[in-house]
Amino acid sequence: MKLFGLIADNILRNPVRSLLTILGTMVLVFVVTLVWSILDFLNAATATRTSNFKAIVTERWRLPSQMPYSYAATLKEGAAREPGHIRPRDAMCWSFYGGSLDREKRTRENSLFAFALEPPKLLTMMDELDSLPPDQHREFAEVVRRLEQNRQGIILGRQRLEAIQKRVGDRIKIYSLNYRGIDLEFEIVGLFPPGRYDNSAAMNIDYLTAALDAYQRENGQPHPLADKSLNLVWLRMQDTAEFDRIAQQILTAPYYSNPAVKIETASSGIATFLEAYRDLLWGMRYLLAPAILVTMALVISNAISISVRERQVEFAVLKVLGYRPFHILSLVLGEAILVGSLSGLVSAALTFSVVNYVVGGIKFPIAFFGAFFIPSQALLWGTIVGAATALAGSFLPAWSACRVKVTDVFARVG
Amino acid sequence: MSFLGLAVGGLLWGGIIPGLSHFVTAGTLLAVVIVFLLYGASRIPTSYNVLNLQVRWRTTLLTALAFTLVTALLTVMLAFVNGMYALTLGSGNPENVIILSEGSTDEGFSNLGFSDVNDIGTQPGILQEDGVPLLSRETYLVVNQPIPNAPPGRPKRRFLQLRGIDDPKIAARVHRVELYPGGEWFSDAGVRQLSDGQIAVEVVLGEGIARELARDRDGNGAKKIRLEVGDQFILNDRPWLVVGVMQSSGKTFDSEVWGKRSLIGPMFGKETYSTLVARTASPDDAVKLRDYFNRQYKRAAVNAQIETDYFASLSETNKQFLVAIAFVTVVLAIGGVFGIMNTMYAAISQRTKDIGVLRLLGFRRHQILVAFLTESLMIAVAGGVVGIALGCLSHGWTANSVVGGQGGGKFVVLRLMIDADTIALGLLLTVATGILGGLMPALRAMRMSALDALR
Repeated sequence: MKLFGLIADNILRNPVRSLLTILGTMVLVFVVTLVWSILDFLNAATATRTSNFKAIVTERWRLPSQMPYSYAATLKEGAAREPGHIRPRDAMCWSFYGGSLDREKRTRENSLFAFALEPPKLLTMMDELDSLPPDQHREFAEVVRRLEQNRQGIILGRQRLEAIQKRVGDRIKIYSLNYRGIDLEFEIVGLFPPGRYDNSAAMNIDYLTAALDAYQRENGQPHPLADKSLNLVWLRMQDTAEFDRIAQQILTAPYYSNPAVKIETASSGIATFLEAYRDLLWGMRYLLAPAILVTMALVISNAISISVRERQVEFAVLKVLGYRPFHILSLVLGEAILVGSLSGLVSAALTFSVVNYVVGGIKFPIAFFGAFFIPSQALLWGTIVGAATALAGSFLPAWSACRVKVTDVFARVG
Repeated sequence: MSFLGLAVGGLLWGGIIPGLSHFVTAGTLLAVVIVFLLYGASRIPTSYNVLNLQVRWRTTLLTALAFTLVTALLTVMLAFVNGMYALTLGSGNPENVIILSEGSTDEGFSNLGFSDVNDIGTQPGILQEDGVPLLSRETYLVVNQPIPNAPPGRPKRRFLQLRGIDDPKIAARVHRVELYPGGEWFSDAGVRQLSDGQIAVEVVLGEGIARELARDRDGNGAKKIRLEVGDQFILNDRPWLVVGVMQSSGKTFDSEVWGKRSLIGPMFGKETYSTLVARTASPDDAVKLRDYFNRQYKRAAVNAQIETDYFASLSETNKQFLVAIAFVTVVLAIGGVFGIMNTMYAAISQRTKDIGVLRLLGFRRHQILVAFLTESLMIAVAGGVVGIALGCLSHGWTANSVVGGQGGGKFVVLRLMIDADTIALGLLLTVATGILGGLMPALRAMRMSALDALR
């Protein structure tokens, strides 16, 4: 307790130095938290799961995957066609419809890409939306119900709504880029819960299907994408044994020959996309983050070294008073660790609050992820990173402090 | 003297080296002017500062090391973005017009019918060679390739970019691409029988993808830097034979596999063309041809762009990376400012008496300010220069990435590139951080009265 009091006194003795060290540590923990949050999210997205996971069925060879919508019905059943075949727990089909709100001028702000799907699947199959807290779930279920009832409805993410400067209840017209000649009018029926889907949009697949039928009636021939409108099928699996069996059913089914399809776990699919960013992620993981940690250690080490040099006499006096070298070591290390861990914790907490609730996530252009959010574990990382780098940076100065020779110091003073 | 050297170097640099952006030139000049002013205003010998730094060598070293790391990071990150820009800006030719179907912003989504393609080839304005229009007819595809010998924990597939081409010799002329010696363009048939009787698809590879595909062979003990003529790889359950490797470094084609369109397109379910690239006599003619196709040509709805504009439009990802890097750099620099402030405050508190003596000797307040600012700058510049030098080691490293714009993108293998801008920005950051970090402590030193300092 006495040692703790001394540590606190010492930190407060030179407030400018302590403040500068705290601020330096905080900004560096801030960057590390951002970098690790992105890496942590990508690790989680690509981690192999063994239970209650999703699989993706796509066109086997080409990208973007464009399958006939006629595949949907059987793929949702896991191509179960014989006695003994099993079906996935749930399924969702995605078609992509995208375009611009301005026919002539296309910008990032007025562009809009929507998942066309069966509305109820938004609540049971979409990542994170399938596990909303009860009050958010109730609210979003009402939005989904409106989309189900209104075929021309569209659900938007909050940032997308802001970007196109519209409100819920407004009507918009999208001039399509991928379904050329099929420009659709929508009514904005609600919003996604804040977070991952802030820049997304979802529409009712029935609307797109009806528009494709209308195109054929009006033009006397099917739309060029009429038999390529199914982009992705998601299947929910209980475990890997179920995945293996359903994968076998799909890959041996005679229905999917032109084009052929492939099935993989969602994590495997995401990992393939991330392979294109392999070196960038390597740089973030093994160059950027470690270099920042070393910089932090240097900043703290510098402050502690200065402090130790200025307090040679004090350490000598402490020794005369009976303090053992171990006590002095603990005193100096304690100062550094207290400063490091507290600044780390405060920085991580601020980063968590500001990035998640004010900025709306980190906008980093990797793969198809719109924004990255700071996980709550970041509070722990921040504290540990602050403490660990402080420990690493202060060990040598602390060692030199505990080895102060009383006679040498007093000889110099004298 | 080191500052004088830096200043002169900076002036020469800003004035002589072409390609240095206006922003960086202006920033470098400003930094040089500041350094000159400091140097000119200081009457306290520089040796006094150097000696002080030597005496407190541990603190100096620790602070400088922090600068070294920050500037080294900045340099490597900028080299990465430079590499991306070099790819997107270096891939096109200003004499070429790229024609996609209307509404398509990317080759991957473009569909051009056969009859339209034939008609486009007869339009005036396209350069002719021996009576043949220099119009490359292409189908661009992205396909999945299972990775043989994929190490545990690594993806089992990769995306491979294929470009099906009708006439490789015309494509080579239009795109100004040549093969490495020993290679040849794929034959008219586009296939060749192998010694084991199998029929292989003939392809030429970009240099980057040739290196990437060679990684698959690591598991077999036959480690190669890149696939060469005669090597094979497996795609779509059949062998593909490398008949040439393109000298494509610095272009997006570096990451592509080129083969016979009539084979590759149908094999992956794309019967139509995605892209036409027309060569004209000059950049002005290219503008005319683009306008003709966009405004007057009625046979088919097409989207014609100057090739350089098309690739420039793929640089949106570059901008996003640049913003991210700028943000990280500024935050790191703020950390550096706090570090150097700590050092300088400590230096001042240790040398209070020195300051008093200097004031008694007749040195003016602003000269004290300049002396301490100079010291802070010396630490920053020493660390920064070493950091930049370390960062320069990354020049030429290769890295995978994606370049893209709205609604499209390409998987690329790029080369990290250090240029004058990168180095100038590193130095600017160093000088700015050194001045910002040293300013407040120096002001404190300046405000001390001689008597208070000596008391």
